[in-house]
Amino acid sequence: MEVKITEKDNVMTAALVGRLDTAVSQDVAAALQPLIDNADKTLVLDCKELAYISSSGLRIFLTIRKAAAAKSGKVIVRDISPEIRQVFMMTGFLNLFEIQES
Amino acid sequence: MARKKMDSATQKAARMGLLIVIVSVVTLEATAILQYFYSQRILSEESTRRAEGQLAATELKISSVVDQVETAVRNSLWSVQQQINRPDSLEAITVRLVEANPVIFGSTVAMTDKNQAPYSYKQADTVITSSLANAEYDYKHQEWYVKPLELQGGYWSEPYYDEGGGNMLMTTYSVPVTDKRGRVAAVFTADVSLDWLTDLVGEVQVYPSAFSMVVSREGQIMVCPAETLVMRHTVQDLASTAGDTATFNQINRSMLSGAAGATSFKFEGKKHYMFFDSVDKTGWAMSIVIPHNEIYGKAERLGQVVSLLMLLGIAMIILILYRTIKNQRDMNRIEENKHRLEGELKVARGIQMSMIPKIFPPYPERSDIDMFAAVVPAKEVGGDLYDFYIRDDKLFFCIGDVSGKGVPASLVMAVTRSLFRTVSAHEKSPQRIVTAMNDSMSDMNESNMFVTFFCGVLDLQNGHLRYCNAGHNAPVLVKADGKAFLPVEPNLPLGIMPGMNFEEQGTDLECGTGVFLYTDGLNEAENPVHAQFGEDRMMDILKAGTESRALVDKVVTSVHDFADGAPQSDDLTMLYIRFMNSRKTEETERHLILHNDIQQIPQLAEFVEEVAELANLDVGLTMSLNLALEEAVSNVIMYAYPKGSDGLVDVEAIVRKDSLEFILSDNGTPFDPTAAPEADITLDVEDRPIGGLGIFLVRNIMDEVKYTRSDDGKNILSMTKKLS
Repeated sequence: MEVKITEKDNVMTAALVGRLDTAVSQDVAAALQPLIDNADKTLVLDCKELAYISSSGLRIFLTIRKAAAAKSGKVIVRDISPEIRQVFMMTGFLNLFEIQES
Repeated sequence: MARKKMDSATQKAARMGLLIVIVSVVTLEATAILQYFYSQRILSEESTRRAEGQLAATELKISSVVDQVETAVRNSLWSVQQQINRPDSLEAITVRLVEANPVIFGSTVAMTDKNQAPYSYKQADTVITSSLANAEYDYKHQEWYVKPLELQGGYWSEPYYDEGGGNMLMTTYSVPVTDKRGRVAAVFTADVSLDWLTDLVGEVQVYPSAFSMVVSREGQIMVCPAETLVMRHTVQDLASTAGDTATFNQINRSMLSGAAGATSFKFEGKKHYMFFDSVDKTGWAMSIVIPHNEIYGKAERLGQVVSLLMLLGIAMIILILYRTIKNQRDMNRIEENKHRLEGELKVARGIQMSMIPKIFPPYPERSDIDMFAAVVPAKEVGGDLYDFYIRDDKLFFCIGDVSGKGVPASLVMAVTRSLFRTVSAHEKSPQRIVTAMNDSMSDMNESNMFVTFFCGVLDLQNGHLRYCNAGHNAPVLVKADGKAFLPVEPNLPLGIMPGMNFEEQGTDLECGTGVFLYTDGLNEAENPVHAQFGEDRMMDILKAGTESRALVDKVVTSVHDFADGAPQSDDLTMLYIRFMNSRKTEETERHLILHNDIQQIPQLAEFVEEVAELANLDVGLTMSLNLALEEAVSNVIMYAYPKGSDGLVDVEAIVRKDSLEFILSDNGTPFDPTAAPEADITLDVEDRPIGGLGIFLVRNIMDEVKYTRSDDGKNILSMTKKLS
């Protein structure tokens, strides 16, 4: 699992590459801390190369979403695969996140 | 080695050819030369014979005239002697002599002791008498007068032009006359016109352009076709004109010596032959000159024609030989190529045969499979292939038929077989194997060859057959209760277009059911009248109870009998697989034991993927199952055991025809996840609790989730997913 964070024009983007399962969730959470610290900006979670996400991954997403809500920031989830979209739908996450296709 | 052999054979042929040419040339040349020399000799002899004959005949004629004159003179001589002192009588004698002899033009009796020489000669038709005794003429110094006296006998004078008597070429025969006392008293002469000689010699025509010449004792030319030469030139003179002094001197000497002979000389650049002989008594020499060309011209022209024809003949022989040798060389090359090709085909056949499994039974230790295969190639190497192997209790097998025949087809066959092995090493789905093979073959397919292909994966535990067809003949399913073609999607053959989607199909085999795969060399085998073996005959032979080897042998024999000696036009390949597992299970189990360490999650993911593939699930469902399992297992890992203590999680998967069940068991503290409250997914961001999604996902993904606490103190969570 790999996390790549870039910032441009007040938009912070985190590209998630690989499987986000329980085993790596703590590391990923740590890697994504800059997003929570900048929750007043627009945060983009680039899921183009995200192969899998477990509930622990969903928890990280929700944590970021809550932080943004508290600082009236914005979270965009970009390019999720049909399988992950299915999980989002199952868990009601589709209603919580702005989903974008690039 | 072969090339050397060919070369030496060609060299041998070339040497033979050269020998033939040389022998032909030598024979022809020798024949031509012999013929030439022989004809030359014949012509030479002929010309000699003709010339000498003419010479002799002409001389005879000349001699007869000469004799006639001499006789006439001799006959009158007595009278002259008697009348020597009577000039009148002498005159009468001369008149009579001239009158009586047509060839005698004139006659005189020239006295020695006095200046008196009565002369009679012809003028027109009469004979006129005059006298030669005048100071102007001075007969006593004339040759005709002096010589006979010197020689004391008859003498023929050098020819001369008679200026007085009408420009005639003349010669004079003169004899001394003695009186009764034996004293020389006079010279008696007969002038002979040489017109007859000119006529006589002119009549001599040995060859059209040959001519005759008569020369005097002094070498004076008396008769000659070139009239300007007559009496003005000697043979000696001609030498300077001819430029060949030595030869002409020789001729001159020979002729003047009174000898007979033949010689040759060059005159004005042309060779001439000369035959000559002396004319008796007169000291003249007659010759016949024949230009070389006249004698040998025709023969030489004939010789030239013959030579030309001969050259043409030789040229043709050489041409024919050259072509023959070339053909021979071409034939040798073709033969050599054929040998090499046959050798290479044999090697190729060996390589090809080593690629396909051909030891039967292939799995003698297994009782769940009975299979046999046979390949009967039409040519040395064919484009048919089959292959099979067992991995993870699954039989991977395929059969294919490459378009075309011979070496190209066999190369494609080899590629196809290698691809099958390579691709199927990582794939369990026939559909993915076929798709990958097609992509790879289409990409490199520059020769536009394609392969009809059928690929199957038979689970030997449960008899489940998954297969994918790429344009190949539908295999036959041979069951105890009958046989039928396996329903197949036709799809396109391999190698036509990359990116093609192939459809996968499946069926379940009962114990004893056979799958008979074949190439069209079987149903399209022809007999001598071009009838095809056909599918009906094939179907009649296929029997469920028959052992694989016996069945294939039976088909081969049947096709062989049917063909009845007709040449096999296509490869014939058969593969018969009988599924013989009587204890086949409806269920397949997989087992995994994990430690209570969250880092073991990836192992779980691998396990779930394997099970999902076993059940042939799609990517979406596989991920959902993964998610459910991860939630359930991580729940146990994190909460079932006290922190820091070691514990195990046992995961069992049961794959059934219509369902998939996962059973989790652990020895941890009793915990029923199903008892957790349902998560409310309708809440806002602010109100949504961070946790509680795990069991929610498990419940949502699986169709049935059951928790039990076993008697031996285990948490047992059974999760079942129904499969459609």
